[in-house]
Amino acid sequence: MRKLAVDVVVIGGGSTGVGVVRDVAMRGYSAVLLDRADLGQGTSGRFHGLLHSGGRYVVSDPGSATECAEENAIVTRIHADAVETTGGYFVTAPGDDPEFADKFLGGAAATRVPAREISVAEALRNEPRLNPGILRAIEVQDGSVDGWQMIWGAARSAMAYGAKVLTYHRVTRIERDGGQVSAVYATDLKDGEDVRIDCTFVLNCAGPWAGQVAGMADCEPVEVVPGRGIMVAMNHRLVNRVINRLIYPADGDILVPVHTVCIIGTTDVKVEDPDALAIPREEVQQMLDAGEILVPGFRRSRALHAWAGARPLIKDKRVSSSDTRHMSRGMAVIDHAERDGLEGMLTIGGGKLTTYRLMAEHIVDEMCRKLGETRACRTADEVVPGSENGKNYHVTHRLHDREEDRLDDQIICECELMSRSMFIKAWEDQPDASFDDIRRQLRLGMGPCQGGFCSTRATGIALDTGHIDLERATGLLRLFLKNRWIGLWPILYGDQLRQAALDNWIFQGTLDVEHLPQPETEVEL
Amino acid sequence: MSRVIVIGAGVAGLTAALRLARAGVGVTLLTKGIGGLQLSQGTVDVLGYQTAADRGLRVADPLTGLGELAAAQPSHPYARIGADAVRAGVEFLREELGPDLLVGEADANVLLPTAVGAVRPTCLVQPSMLAGSCVPGARFVIVGLRRLKDFPAGLIAGNLSRAVLDGGQLTARAVTIDVPARQGEADSSGLTYARAFDDPAFRERFAAELRPLVEAGETVGLPAVLGLKDRTAWQHLSELLGHPVFEIPLPPPSVPGMRLNLALTAAARAAGVRIVNGSWATSPSVADGKVTAVSFTTSGTPREFAGSAFLLAAGGFESGALSFDSHDEVKETIFGLPLAGTDVPALVHGDYWGAEQPLFGVGVAVDDTMRVVAPGGGPVYQNLWAAGGVLAGAYRWTEKSGEGIALGSAVKAADAIAAALIPSSRPAPGSPPATEIPDQARADQTEATA
Repeated sequence: MRKLAVDVVVIGGGSTGVGVVRDVAMRGYSAVLLDRADLGQGTSGRFHGLLHSGGRYVVSDPGSATECAEENAIVTRIHADAVETTGGYFVTAPGDDPEFADKFLGGAAATRVPAREISVAEALRNEPRLNPGILRAIEVQDGSVDGWQMIWGAARSAMAYGAKVLTYHRVTRIERDGGQVSAVYATDLKDGEDVRIDCTFVLNCAGPWAGQVAGMADCEPVEVVPGRGIMVAMNHRLVNRVINRLIYPADGDILVPVHTVCIIGTTDVKVEDPDALAIPREEVQQMLDAGEILVPGFRRSRALHAWAGARPLIKDKRVSSSDTRHMSRGMAVIDHAERDGLEGMLTIGGGKLTTYRLMAEHIVDEMCRKLGETRACRTADEVVPGSENGKNYHVTHRLHDREEDRLDDQIICECELMSRSMFIKAWEDQPDASFDDIRRQLRLGMGPCQGGFCSTRATGIALDTGHIDLERATGLLRLFLKNRWIGLWPILYGDQLRQAALDNWIFQGTLDVEHLPQPETEVEL
Repeated sequence: MSRVIVIGAGVAGLTAALRLARAGVGVTLLTKGIGGLQLSQGTVDVLGYQTAADRGLRVADPLTGLGELAAAQPSHPYARIGADAVRAGVEFLREELGPDLLVGEADANVLLPTAVGAVRPTCLVQPSMLAGSCVPGARFVIVGLRRLKDFPAGLIAGNLSRAVLDGGQLTARAVTIDVPARQGEADSSGLTYARAFDDPAFRERFAAELRPLVEAGETVGLPAVLGLKDRTAWQHLSELLGHPVFEIPLPPPSVPGMRLNLALTAAARAAGVRIVNGSWATSPSVADGKVTAVSFTTSGTPREFAGSAFLLAAGGFESGALSFDSHDEVKETIFGLPLAGTDVPALVHGDYWGAEQPLFGVGVAVDDTMRVVAPGGGPVYQNLWAAGGVLAGAYRWTEKSGEGIALGSAVKAADAIAAALIPSSRPAPGSPPATEIPDQARADQTEATA
């Protein structure tokens, strides 16, 4: 068993967890972050990519609106490389109440969310695919954010401050010494080795899995009610700004341009198990109908991929915090000292990706208060590694890069313009990765062909690095194809079906990939 | 004089058009683009696996195998086509293209390596591939090219070495060399390399780099880029190396597929087939239970092509001949034909490595002459036939049956059409008596601007 000793163990590698470990590390605590999978593999990687302007909440939740507006500006600055400043419109679709726009403008003024009504003609001129029947349009400062890029930026910042980030480490037990947390036990899922981490504080940021983690410290069950939402990515940027329905928040009311695609979301269905999230075809139909309202012809556009995420909603009667005024809206903090007689552990639920940094600040403030220390938060003041030049993401960045290096480097994924050297660098950094881990960082296999051409190339290159053997390389290819299909089959129609037919022709017809020597056990990580 | 309209320029459409032309029938072949041969592995599959068995049972004699398949699955196209027509189709193509493009027999599969190192059964192969036959004791050196990204030599060699063959294993190792096809280009396509290999001087440079790396007794496996126009390029390279060489097909664009496509298209043209490229079929004109013409958009102008008989050989979902829309409706996109194979609980499912996706088995039903019928019923039109990937009931990619179905159905349909149009012509084996189709007045004009 490996042994480590730190001040703080953060459990959960989503946006909350990395935000917390970065904050903790910047305040001078030694820290380890544990996740049973890759960073951003859960809820934080399964959203629609919206960096809220706050507009969504100006009527329904004014406090959140102000927080979003402030954090939007901060995230756009400290995670410049992850954020595209697309701007956004709230539009009154035919049949929606046009007077809601007045409430919206009033709310925006009250919450200090920048918003300006523009003419329908201007909105249509700037977004020609938009429903010409819209009645009103309000311009806001929405953006889009690559959740994985943001999370890895925060994680690299934390590592630069000395934190350790241990992915694929499943927490097995949280040890108490009397009424005080004393250690966290985890298993390294890649090599099977157990790890014991002595610590004085545990911050449980496991989102929809927070209840399971709290249970490992023998706490009273924490009730988590995961809310499943599905998203559908369309193959093109049908719009170049975020388009929101100008109504009370509802299903399928947001269309977000992210990278080369646009994403519509979402639904909200209570589910039991955050590890078993279906993508029902009827919910896909619901998204297509909703898209049709914003962009006529949406249904005839090419859907590319679908996914489902689980909202990390905690419903616990004893959710406390002696003082909630300074807490971020939509967030619940459980202090296990008051609730379970266990000092040194806080469980965090709820929250939004846009306000992840503020949530982290509040949680770490709370931890400092409990430790009787005053250490200032600096996470808003310093940009993360990769964003030093202050330039926000632009959709043509990779095209520019490939034009620079096209004679010296190979394009391994034409759809997403990922080069060989980009892949090799990521692989050298994470030689025990799966191709999905690389996908989250480099967008391998996320374009129109959905891995049809790049996945065998990636397999060959990964094998040639010498870090993995043939059986693992072949197993990773099988795993990647299987995982791509999870998000493909629910949206398989039109041109994406043609693509799937071509991909099957390549993999089965030409390569006979299904008759490669079968592994004794399938590679799963 | 009557004229046949063939829609589609894949192996089915081109073969049927050529066979009809050889029978003395006027043929116009309409195609949206370049046919599917360039997406294929460039060999002729007939039947590689009995897919009903767990993970597929490798087939040694595809003609016997397809008989067993047809008996077990009456809805499979082979149940309508039959082994005789498949043999006739395979041999027809082999004779038309000649032994410098296709060799082999219809009743024997060979096992060839794929570009991930699987061992894949196929029937007729290009002579440049034959030395790659996977037999126990074979010693391969698989040669990767630094600038050609679709040929992972290490993966191929490693998986080939793991392959379990009847009676033992083979050995394979990988080497990678760097011989640019074009100076200063890091990312060259297979086609760029194929054009380079057409040049004897490039072959000499290439052989000089590779020769020191090949050990005695080794057979040299290379990506299937050994020349596009020069069909002897691989032999020359073999002589220069002093070792047998073989090609392994790559993902598309496929150079071996291009070779077949170029040769078959040229043969069809030389036989008098009129090929109209860039023609996107939209809808038929119908009278008295017959198709009289098909409308096409070509260069943006709608046109109508009239004919006495029509052969739909436009492929399946991959080409767009079959479509599946966002309301889960499956359509044949040109004639709006009734489809077979749709009566399943779900057309797609989430188990990637599991059972076939039923959607890919959907297609049109045909009778024993390949005339399109309503599922369980009679002909939809008296003069509409179908061949190739549009036929219902096959999973071509997993079965490795695409070309066999295409060739068998093409020959059967062509012979039935010829018999119907030329009452004196001898019906093909198994063909029913000729159907009377009177010439149509405007058939001579062959087309009229709409």
